[in-house]
Amino acid sequence: MKVTRRDAIKLGVAAGVAGYAAYRFAGLDSLLRPAETSGYSLGGTESRVASVCLQCPAGCGILVRVVDGRAVKIEGNPKHPINLGRLCPKGQIGLQILYDPDRIKEPYVREELWQAFGSGSLAAYLAAPLRDRTPESFIPVPGATADERWDNALGLAAEVLRTIRESTGPGEGPHQVLFLSGRNRGQMGGFIDRFCAAYGTPNHIGHSSICADGSPMAHWATQGWKAYSGYDWDNTNYVLCFGGAFIEAWRPTTRLLRAHGTIRRGRPIRGKIVQVDVRYSVSAAKADEWIPVKPGTDGALALGIAHVIIRDGLYDATYVQDRTFGFDGWTDAGGVPHEGWKDVVLREYSPATTSVITGVPAETIERVAREFATVRPAIAAGERGSSMQTNGVYSRMAIHALNALVGSLGRAGGPIRQRDPPLASVPAVVKDAIATSGGAQPPFDFRGTKYYPLAAKVYQGVPDFILGRPDPAGRTLQPPYPAKAMLCYYTNPLFSTPDSARWDEAIRQIPFVMTFSPFMDETTALSDLILPDSTYLERWQDDVIYPSLGYPVAAIRQPVVSPVYNTRNAGDVFVELARRLGGTVADSFPWADFREYMQARYLGIHTTAAGRVGETPVSSFSTFEEFWDAFTRIGVWSSPPYAFEDWAYTFPSPSGRFEFYSQLLHEKLEHLAEEEAKLIQDPPPPQLVEQKLEEILVGLRITARGDMVFMPHFEAPRYVGDASDYPLHLITYKLMVHAEGRGANVPLLREMTTPHLRRAMNWNTWAEIHPETARQLRVADGSRVWIESPPRDPQGTPRRVLVPAVLYEGVRPDTVAIPFELGHTAYGRLAKGAGTNPNLILANEYDLLGGLAAFSPTRVRVYPEGGG
Amino acid sequence: MVIDLDKCTACQACIVACRIENNVPAAGAEETEKGRAIFWNQFFSELRGSFPDVNLRMFPRPCMHCEDPPCVPVCPVEATYKDEEGRVLVRYDKCIGCRYCMVACPYGARYFNWFPTRDIEGQVNDRNPDVVRDSQGWAVGPSPRPMGVVEKCTLCIQRLELAKEEGALVGSEHPDGVVSACAETCPAFAISFGDLEDPASEVHRLSLDKRAFRLLEELGTKPQVYYLTEG
Repeated sequence: MKVTRRDAIKLGVAAGVAGYAAYRFAGLDSLLRPAETSGYSLGGTESRVASVCLQCPAGCGILVRVVDGRAVKIEGNPKHPINLGRLCPKGQIGLQILYDPDRIKEPYVREELWQAFGSGSLAAYLAAPLRDRTPESFIPVPGATADERWDNALGLAAEVLRTIRESTGPGEGPHQVLFLSGRNRGQMGGFIDRFCAAYGTPNHIGHSSICADGSPMAHWATQGWKAYSGYDWDNTNYVLCFGGAFIEAWRPTTRLLRAHGTIRRGRPIRGKIVQVDVRYSVSAAKADEWIPVKPGTDGALALGIAHVIIRDGLYDATYVQDRTFGFDGWTDAGGVPHEGWKDVVLREYSPATTSVITGVPAETIERVAREFATVRPAIAAGERGSSMQTNGVYSRMAIHALNALVGSLGRAGGPIRQRDPPLASVPAVVKDAIATSGGAQPPFDFRGTKYYPLAAKVYQGVPDFILGRPDPAGRTLQPPYPAKAMLCYYTNPLFSTPDSARWDEAIRQIPFVMTFSPFMDETTALSDLILPDSTYLERWQDDVIYPSLGYPVAAIRQPVVSPVYNTRNAGDVFVELARRLGGTVADSFPWADFREYMQARYLGIHTTAAGRVGETPVSSFSTFEEFWDAFTRIGVWSSPPYAFEDWAYTFPSPSGRFEFYSQLLHEKLEHLAEEEAKLIQDPPPPQLVEQKLEEILVGLRITARGDMVFMPHFEAPRYVGDASDYPLHLITYKLMVHAEGRGANVPLLREMTTPHLRRAMNWNTWAEIHPETARQLRVADGSRVWIESPPRDPQGTPRRVLVPAVLYEGVRPDTVAIPFELGHTAYGRLAKGAGTNPNLILANEYDLLGGLAAFSPTRVRVYPEGGG
Repeated sequence: MVIDLDKCTACQACIVACRIENNVPAAGAEETEKGRAIFWNQFFSELRGSFPDVNLRMFPRPCMHCEDPPCVPVCPVEATYKDEEGRVLVRYDKCIGCRYCMVACPYGARYFNWFPTRDIEGQVNDRNPDVVRDSQGWAVGPSPRPMGVVEKCTLCIQRLELAKEEGALVGSEHPDGVVSACAETCPAFAISFGDLEDPASEVHRLSLDKRAFRLLEELGTKPQVYYLTEG
């Protein structure tokens, strides 16, 4: 038979179609062929479980749609007052954290440690002066069943902690354990405090000195309470924001996004939003006005604005008279006269002067001042941008003082002090002699000392204290004992600390490192023992909202599905470790698990019959069980409304008022000076105390003297690197999708366009450079550039990173801007090796008064990949 | 749908919520570089001016579900069609992947599956199991699509069909009204969803607002997505 060309073509086409059909209709595709049914169908049973998001500290209530035991969608909980049923993109992607294939699925241990445990030589293991840590070289903790593996892991951890606790060598003891924590929600921070107190270490070192602690310190100095501030956004008519990314990375995210919408369209009066920032952020783009400011000079701008308000008598005279202290000149109890803050401002901070400092035109300062003071109520706010410079605390004080001038503090439409839920108190920690003596040891991080007077922790200084390296002020501070162990909960110091290379060296001098991380992050990769936490969607925890609405709100986090892997709630692990340590440590944890502890605390809400669960008043639940059942079902408790103009609560300062002259700050520094003077002569004569105060101020690099030290004033920012060698400021910032360093392995967060840059996507890091600056540097758009900063390796090698340059008209010509989040060397297949971590080149500088990491003083030089 | 650009904060919650709700897979860095990432709702922005006088305009772009859609008449196999409720949909199994519809759409709202859905171990657990079939039984909803077909925003048809079955109310004007995933999650309350022809609906009222405009109106597509200008 003859095969014609037509036959061949027919055969070929038939084969092709058959092959294509076989491919197309195999596997997943079988769902898509026509079926007998039409309309909607779901093959399974579904439920909605209430819980709380954890990609930021806002505490947004969520409802998770679960079908046949699998979580398939996260929505906001309409009953939660923070987010009212809405979620930002970070909240939406929680499923990709729960089902991340690169999670740690079992407890893991360094083989060497497991052998030391088995052979009874833990003490020798813990005495190692140097531990050469190879990343990610673990064995699963042995055990035939999942529970057995945990039993062994907990047994080992308890034994290590016991060995350290009971060691009797000179200077040894439980105080040698450093417990670093980060994203603590609800009662967890207090739970870790409890564990440390019962165990016997003063070294619970939180992360917030690498956050925006300048704000809580400014609030403490001027109002008497140390926390972030709430804001009554819904009723404000003018927002003057200094370096807080209002609709991007400031917290609480969804609440701020809604506030933006409300200020724009939610009332008859459309509020004005003015964004002061070193770059044209999305927040600046959506604001009515963007004021570009020279890095580190936000405080000066605030003071220039204050000058105009005072000079033209635009301040709220009644409020200033009744609610503030130190505005006019005053005489203290000892008969000493003090200059009023108003006189300082009028003398030092004219628009002409501050214009030169900030680069903001004097006419702008005049106009914005007039607007801010006359469009009421008005809010002056600031966060990371203004506090992460060497003058962070004073800058935030200056910004915050503007609220006092216009009388918005504590009132509708102004900054408000957040209230907490009325939780029940629990029995005090039980301490044996070891716990008492251990807890009385000087803290490892020198917090609250003359070196870092206002600091409650100096997280970023820990590697220097371990290595005996000088701090940014050139002081080498050596703790009186070495660190024997480091425990990390929800924090990743090796990634998140400026000048992060210091940690690579320091961690090798800590004999034992244990983390509770669900992910193989950089710190966990170098640890000795991993007791993996369950993710937030798999565990019991509570969540009290970030300062915001003013009235208290708390919500329950509960397992929406059974734990996917062999992980355990770290809260339960603390209880179990305490039980195994026995004695008074166990006595301090008389609860079966963390959930029982929460119930003990939340009993307080039922007892006081405060507030409501959803819309149901707590008073209608006759038993605690009824309350708890409703609380876990509906997910949220709240107690509106906020009581404005509660002056005692708003101003628990020594004067009961807003203090332009901070008596608390004066007391603290005076006390430190007295302690120093007493070392020489007790009781110390006044001149000696004065001399010691002078020494302290010199050590803190504070240039102001006299009363100025205790008032909002401008301290010139210290930059790292001189302008001739390092002509550009390096500013780091955070995108909306920045999930606190925990989002780098989430596909949907990485695959996001960047709103202000058309071509940049979150698959890589980039450096924003002004087009004219780039032209002078011979840098083309999209080409890679070296960003080099002043710090040097111990070998003297310069620090530099290679990053694609993106030309952007929204960045100052003297600045280069790089976003955070990427640059991991661990943390999963998408995170590892992608992007660049700016911490590699950031200098370790501080606001010394606050012990705060200053991320923004580093100057850099930039040059194309080829040449240098 | 009406999107108020004055309230919008460019947070992109809508973009992300949509992808999760509708089983849109991440493309990865390489494929994204080639312009192959699928975004049923995508974010557009334009920067004008030079430092310090710059202006950035941003907006999300779902499918317009045009009253007069250019994509429907060009489909050679009637895979894409406009249903009786005015939604422009794709019968995935009829699509032959010719992509004429993508050429025809002036809004770039249609996307081609250049690669099969790749299940990263474990990530399949969060797949939305909703199934929607049209009156002829063709799958048109969020079920994962195979390589070689075009897909696009369906106004979250799975939610609307379920609402129909349960007799639930649809539209932003109702306190618990069923709406699309983007409208449900928008933290700034900028997205309104509902029936434009219902005089009692929020979208109807807002579509007549003096700030209302539509994209590329001059083309005559009669988009059913309205925007409200900033300021």
